[in-house]
Formats: sequence, C-alpha cells, structure tokens
Amino acid sequence: MLDKIAGWALRKSPWVCHFNGGSCNACDIEIVAALMPRFDLERFGILLQGSPRHADVLICTGPITHQIRDRIIRVYEQAPEPKFVVAVGSCGTSGRPFCGKGAYSVMEGVDSIIPVHMYVPGCPPRPDAITYAVLKLLSTLDPKLADVLAEFEKSIPGIETMVQEGEPVAG
Amino acid sequence: MPLFYVLIFPGFLFLLAFALFAEYFDRKVVARLQNRQGPPWYQPLADTIKLLSKEDIITHDADKPMVNTVPLFGLAAVAASFLYVPMWTKDWHFSFQGDLIVVLYLLTIPAFVLVLLGWYSPNPFGSIGTGRVVTQLFGYEVPFALALLAPAIAAQSWRITDLLAYQDDHYWFALITPIAFLVAIAGLVGKLERVPFDIPHAETEIVEGPMTEYTGRKYALLKLMFSTETVVGAVLIAAIFLGGPHLPWVTKAVAGTAVAPLVGFLAVVLKALFIVFLLSVIKAALTRLRIDQMVRWCLTWLTFPILIQILYIVIVGSM
Repeated sequence: MLDKIAGWALRKSPWVCHFNGGSCNACDIEIVAALMPRFDLERFGILLQGSPRHADVLICTGPITHQIRDRIIRVYEQAPEPKFVVAVGSCGTSGRPFCGKGAYSVMEGVDSIIPVHMYVPGCPPRPDAITYAVLKLLSTLDPKLADVLAEFEKSIPGIETMVQEGEPVAG
Repeated sequence: MPLFYVLIFPGFLFLLAFALFAEYFDRKVVARLQNRQGPPWYQPLADTIKLLSKEDIITHDADKPMVNTVPLFGLAAVAASFLYVPMWTKDWHFSFQGDLIVVLYLLTIPAFVLVLLGWYSPNPFGSIGTGRVVTQLFGYEVPFALALLAPAIAAQSWRITDLLAYQDDHYWFALITPIAFLVAIAGLVGKLERVPFDIPHAETEIVEGPMTEYTGRKYALLKLMFSTETVVGAVLIAAIFLGGPHLPWVTKAVAGTAVAPLVGFLAVVLKALFIVFLLSVIKAALTRLRIDQMVRWCLTWLTFPILIQILYIVIVGSM
C-alpha cells in the first residue's frame, strides 16, 4: 500500500536535473526550451531542480569527456534513489561523431559511464521529443499515462521513432 | 478536546491541508499569469509524498545530530504559531496578552533553522546561502515587526483578539494604516524568501542555498515549513489588517447564530487566499534583486514609511 502511494507520488512529480556532460550546448538549449512556458512541463509535475540531491531524473547531454567522467559519476551518486537517467542528443546516446579511435579527450555516450533508461537521439533533438522521452519513462511506471502518450503520437506524427528505451526501469 | 484542537482542527492536520492547497493555489495563479496550464490540484501533495519516500542522504562531513533534528524545529515552530492566529472567531480560546509577540517570535525561527542547516552542511552553496539569510533578515525583519506593531499601538494591545475587536468597532486596519499593510506584505515576501527576495536560495546562482544538501524527508520538511509559513503569515496579516473573521454587514447579521463560526472561517480562508494571491502576482511580475539592493531598498522604502506611519498613529492617538 505504502509502496503504491510512493510510486504514484514519484510518477506525478518527477523533478529533473540537467547535466551537461561536454556537449556543444545545442541539446541543452533544447532542454531549456522544453521547460519553457510554451510546453509547460509543470502540468505533468516536472520541475527543474538545480541540485542532483533534489532530482529524480537526470537529463544528461554530450559525449562524455575524460575530464567530466568523475564528475558525472559523482553527480549520479549524489542523486537519491530511485533515480533515472535520460541521455539526450546523438552524442549523449553514442558519442558519435566525436568518439572513436584516436579521440584523446572524448569517451563514448552517457551509457558508457552510468546506466541510461531512455535515449533521445537527434542533433539536437526537438523539445517535444525530450518531453515525450520523459513521459515515456514515466509510463513504464504508470500505464495510465498511455493516453497522454497516444495524444502526443497523434498530434506529432513519427514522434515514437525519436526516442529509444534503454535499461529496463525497475518497480 | 484541546488535543483535537491542537492536532486536527484548527491545528496540525488542517494546517498541512491548508498549506498544500495554498501552495497549489500559488503555483496555479503564477502559471495562469504566465499563460500556462499549471499543475493539477494534487501536485503539492504528490511532491511531499515523493520527497518523504525518497532516499535520505546525510553527507559524510555533516554534523549528524544537528542535521537530523534541525529541520523538525522549523515546522514545529510554524505549527505552534498557527494556534495563536484566530481562524473563525474573535474570541479565540488560545489567545492571551502578548500573543502577537509570540507569533512574531515563532515566525522568525525558520530563518534560524535555515542558518543552522546551511552552516552544518559542508557545502559552499550552503555557506553562501546562510550568509544571505542573515543579511536579508536585517532587511525585512525590522519593517515587518514594526508594521505589525502599528495596529497594536493604535488598538493599545498586544493581543490579536483585541485587534480584531478594534476592527469590528472601527474600520479594518488596512484602511486605517494602509502603509503598514503594504509594508507587512513586503516583509512577508522577504520572510518567505519569495521573488523578488528569494536571494538566499537563488536557483540560478547558488542552487538551493542552505537546502542544497538535504534530500528526502528533510527537504520535504523544509518545503512544508515554507508552505505552512506562507499560510500562517497570510492568516496573521488577514487577522491584523483585514479584520480576520469580520465581514462588513454579514458578521452583524449572523451574530449569535450557528452559522457565525462558519461564516467567520470562510472569511478568514478567503482573506488568506487573497494575501497568497497578492504574493503570487508579485512573484510573477518581478525578478530577483541583489542582496545589497534588497537591504538598501528595505531600509529606505520599508523602514522609513513605517516609522512615519507609527509617528502618525502616535500623534493622532494622543490628540
């Protein structure tokens, strides 16, 4: 019973923390655009928090650089359980085109360091795709959100191809 | 019966429900003013439950006994102060001579809670936030206390119920001492650390200030402390400046009947929500000041007018 109430509360109030893991800022601008009044993520209870201590969802961008590697691990560990990670942008999902042989400063995507639950590829992805990714992450916890997702899919054709699920979400 | 009063109505449980509703009301009004849809009605409740259920992290260098106990004090002090503000009648059973001072004193404790929290968490943002809390305290506390003093001088009593009786006989203090009313609203904004005085936890500069390192149920308690303080401050200002349960004509018509407490209760709730509405409009309309601008502005444009107001009351009262 208590777990049920806690799960309901978590689904209804996912607070996000935005972490730039070395990206070129294009994805970060799109994340900020998704949080603007036009998209109004507060109607789903989503709030931007400055501290990972208060966040449930970490939104990470960028190919992880060697310098940011320790920091992203620390930020991930600073977030209290339960926590989820969304990797945003082509670089965030795979590190392309910066990583690879001969890349001396860049590692691969976010999932090479910390577990990622949802990927949003694109260079940069659209704000509605980021919104859709966070909602889809929540809908794995709450089947009732399927209506909202269906509405999204109807109004923006092809949006379901813009995100990809990562690690299964427990609980 | 006293236990029922303290714990359920109008005590702790009612205070929590009212505080969560006021927080929803505030967020919804701000959202509508920004042309957004805004959160659903259960949003503050969901936030609180989620924070209560999350992992509770205590940082390695933190002082554990302090960090564990201090968040409780803020909520306890605010909940205690709520007992002394009249909710539906001017013959309030907890009232005593000097309860205005007690409420003012208890409402200052959250600031000290924040100071201790920031001081005992090993975080530079916490330390900076602590310094700002104390600096800001000097800006708003003096005019806020003086603004609540002005009606007390006019009614010649430190008792909130006497102030209510005075307003029943004369006019509301918002009409008799309008400057004090405006200064009290501005002081409440500073006390609650809302825009434009949200300098101690400026998100874009110092993350959450003193509350940066606190997760889970400690952060939930701190958030509840702020929302309950909003309600207590709003009810207090409604009682002192807007006549509390008094409504012109209506109160006299229903006096002595069974619906009189209900009418008084509705009047207090509506007046408190009106104060919260004013705070929301201020939040949506303005941006954050710098700490030196805030202190200078408060000392110039709040303290001097309220001193003139008090001088006016003393002169008119002595004639």
